Amino acid sequence: MSVLEVGRVCIKTAGREAGKLCVVVKDVDDSFVLVTGPKSMTRVKRRKCNIAHLEPLEVKLPIKSDAPDSEVEAELKKTDVLKKYALPLFAGHHREVPRGYIPKHAEKKHVEETHEEKPKKEPKEEKPAEKKKTEHKEKPKTAAKPAAKKVTKKPAAKKPTIKKPAEKKATKKPASKK
Amino acid sequence: MPRPALRSRSMRRTKKKLPRGLTVLRYSKPKPGHTVCAICKSKLHGVPRELPYRVAKLPKTKRVPERPFGGHLCSKCSRKAVKSSIYKVSS
Repeated sequence: MSVLEVGRVCIKTAGREAGKLCVVVKDVDDSFVLVTGPKSMTRVKRRKCNIAHLEPLEVKLPIKSDAPDSEVEAELKKTDVLKKYALPLFAGHHREVPRGYIPKHAEKKHVEETHEEKPKKEPKEEKPAEKKKTEHKEKPKTAAKPAAKKVTKKPAAKKPTIKKPAEKKATKKPASKK
Repeated sequence: MPRPALRSRSMRRTKKKLPRGLTVLRYSKPKPGHTVCAICKSKLHGVPRELPYRVAKLPKTKRVPERPFGGHLCSKCSRKAVKSSIYKVSS
């Protein structure tokens, strides 16, 4: 008799299958136990396993000893163990769980980071958009003055003043050199 | 005189005897240091201590242990990593 009962859901801690879920199927020895994923679900092959390499979970499946993989798979699908124990360090090791799946306990950190990034980007985008609008409005102002009355007068008045001194300097300099 | 690249004292030297009786110096690059666990800094088993071109010639299963984090963590630390991530979920 081993410590782990038949039907106990465990996670392997050692070897190439470390971090993967498995179910105890049969007692073999004091220290050994027959274990299966089943392989189609969690990629753990049906094989003998040392108890020291297993970490038991709180879930237990109603299974007879030496049950075939098809029965174990049917019982596992009724529970939500696979999604709950999709460990973030070993993500994507279950076939039922997609590769980019982030379990709920790991989600909170990602949400906080995204909130901080968003407000930084928004003000940068708004400023260039306003400038473009003012430039487009200038052309109709010169053509039809009564249409643009209150809000858009200021930018229209400033820009022509900037252009004039540049033109004057250009005309003066060649005259002084001569 | 050997060529300038081999004059460095960091090159390893071995004396070899040719069939005609001459002894000749042969030069080789030094082996890299032991790979070490990222957490406890102990030497890793199952990782060959060879030059990269020699490691590339080995079969894939002999380059690095097949378990997750193989070649980065020792077996003790990788077991702790699995267990601690289980406790985070269950608590």
